[in-house]
Amino acid sequence: MNALVHWSSSMRARLLARPAILVSLVAVFAATLCGMALVVGIGVSVPKALAAFADGAWGSPYAIAASINRALALGLVGVGFVIAQRANLTNVGGEGQIAVGGIAATAISLYGGAAALPAPLSFIAPMAVAALVGGLWGGIAGVLKAKAGTNEVISTLLLSFIAIWLVYGAVQSESLLRQPMTTTATLPESLEIPDVTKLPLLNAAADTPLHWGLPIALLIAALAAVALDKTVWGLRLRAIGLNTLAARRAGMRIAPTIVLVLFLAGACGGLAGAFMLQGDQGSLKARFSSGYGFDGLVVGLLARGSVAGVIAAALLFGFLRSGGINMELEAGVPSAVVLVIQGLIILMLAGTAFWIDSRKEASR
Amino acid sequence: MTEEMGAVFVGSSLRLAMPLVLAATGELVSERAGVLNMSVEGMMLAAAFGGALGAWATGSPMLGLLIGVLAALPVALLQAWLSITLRANQIVTGIGINILVLGATTVAYREILGRHSRTEIPGLARWSPPGLGDIAVLGDAVFRQTWLLYAGLVLVGIVAWVLRDTAIGLAVRAVGAEPRAVDKSGLSVNRVRYGAVLFTGAMSGLAGCFLSIGDIHTFTEGMTNGSGYLALAAVIFGNWKIGRTLLACLFFGAATALQFQLPAMGVKLPTALLIMLPYLMALVAVGGLVGRQTAPVNLTRAYQR
Repeated sequence: MNALVHWSSSMRARLLARPAILVSLVAVFAATLCGMALVVGIGVSVPKALAAFADGAWGSPYAIAASINRALALGLVGVGFVIAQRANLTNVGGEGQIAVGGIAATAISLYGGAAALPAPLSFIAPMAVAALVGGLWGGIAGVLKAKAGTNEVISTLLLSFIAIWLVYGAVQSESLLRQPMTTTATLPESLEIPDVTKLPLLNAAADTPLHWGLPIALLIAALAAVALDKTVWGLRLRAIGLNTLAARRAGMRIAPTIVLVLFLAGACGGLAGAFMLQGDQGSLKARFSSGYGFDGLVVGLLARGSVAGVIAAALLFGFLRSGGINMELEAGVPSAVVLVIQGLIILMLAGTAFWIDSRKEASR
Repeated sequence: MTEEMGAVFVGSSLRLAMPLVLAATGELVSERAGVLNMSVEGMMLAAAFGGALGAWATGSPMLGLLIGVLAALPVALLQAWLSITLRANQIVTGIGINILVLGATTVAYREILGRHSRTEIPGLARWSPPGLGDIAVLGDAVFRQTWLLYAGLVLVGIVAWVLRDTAIGLAVRAVGAEPRAVDKSGLSVNRVRYGAVLFTGAMSGLAGCFLSIGDIHTFTEGMTNGSGYLALAAVIFGNWKIGRTLLACLFFGAATALQFQLPAMGVKLPTALLIMLPYLMALVAVGGLVGRQTAPVNLTRAYQR
């Protein structure tokens, strides 16, 4: 009992010392309450909605694994966001980076000869190309920023819209990625990618869809955390982010760093696209990226700059998405309620960011 | 292309461009004052829903229009409060608002209007300028449009004049360029900015209503489908000048109209290419490939005394 009191008071002290975490928790809690109020307003009983939510999010080993798989793509986009954020760049292009990654992975899996490669290479090659293409897509924004001073928020957003329609165009045309039209009812989507190019399950015997993406994503998260927090390169990014002019005076090369950082952020997004294709969807469809990039952006924001935060936020949103989908199926609550919750979380975090930063300044 | 198809193309280009014209004009005023509203999309969507709901509930499209514009104002106020008073990141708040409004309107639509989805929603009346409506072919296809289209064009003219030639316009421009000087002169920077954002809300409201009760007389979930972002792209492409922004909107409208027109003409161009064209053009513009971009100096920067 004493230990518990001690633990809770030290926890309190820690939270008060780091208002960012406290605010994040309060925001998630308050937004969820609003979501529940909406459920009541719709006239569905809250216990029923919550039961359906829990069932879909973590009700079975299968559901848990599916939620974690969702979190992988979100987490990768989030890691990319945090890397860019360290250099004071805001990458809102996750959606487009996922889209071009998905296109690249599909092309390599179906027509790029990946299926003929020996086992690990057959699914690694599409992932690698997807990351490269996603990186190049992010790099465009980096070059525009370095050369013309174009605001990366605007360019990455525009690039997202372009990429979304690229997917649409790619699956509409048979000379691109659309499956051969056998009847007029043939859907505008690609062929299913060969099994050898799909991400293998971690445990084929267990009835869960958990795949090799999990260790790969964790490895990338760990690498990013080390690179950002323990290396000179990470320190340099921070210096550029805090004061570009001073960093330039100190002899740092700004332009190549900006391009590299947005390349890396884009590569994370591209890899997320490969995960979604090779681990989950299996074929490229018109609405392939389906908002994961924007959700990943929110994950990055929630994380407030730390990779550990990304993992926590990605899991939160992975479970939120799974639960929301099931809430619609089983309890008849529109999954748009989850959008309301997400929107509120973003607004509360954005609205308090300035206050938190000024507190940080004051305590320095 | 036959004469008739040409007329239909011009008419539908105008119709598709008009929501962009209204929203972009509103957004331009706000950006000149230094506030970037990514939330134009959300403001339009809120108004599209409010307009449809109002017109359906009251049976009067005019009341629907009023309710639609009123529905966009709280969204604008939220954006203003977050980005001006709380000095939050304007882009992040804009995206957050869009997600929130998409969720809220979708839930509200399913609860209220969804089960009446087959009932016709009364829409704004069509009108053609006297004389022009009687011209063969052209009269019906080009000039017979929702009256809001003509009212909107007049409104844009007024905005251009106010922005260029009046004290209000000077205040708006000065707040975006030299907020400190404006503050010293005794005018409240934040009050001008609140006004500008609310004006964007009203204009985006008209744009949203144009979509739902002006054009297709119904509401569908997420029906703005990126037009708010297109309006932003038009302002960028227009280099923050009203004339060029207007041209960009017309061009974007024409590109959208072409995707329906080309298949009818037997031209096989991927529609996706046409839809992405406006975004591509905006990217080229912000990339500085079509002359120097001169954004308002203090765009996205909150003012602190």
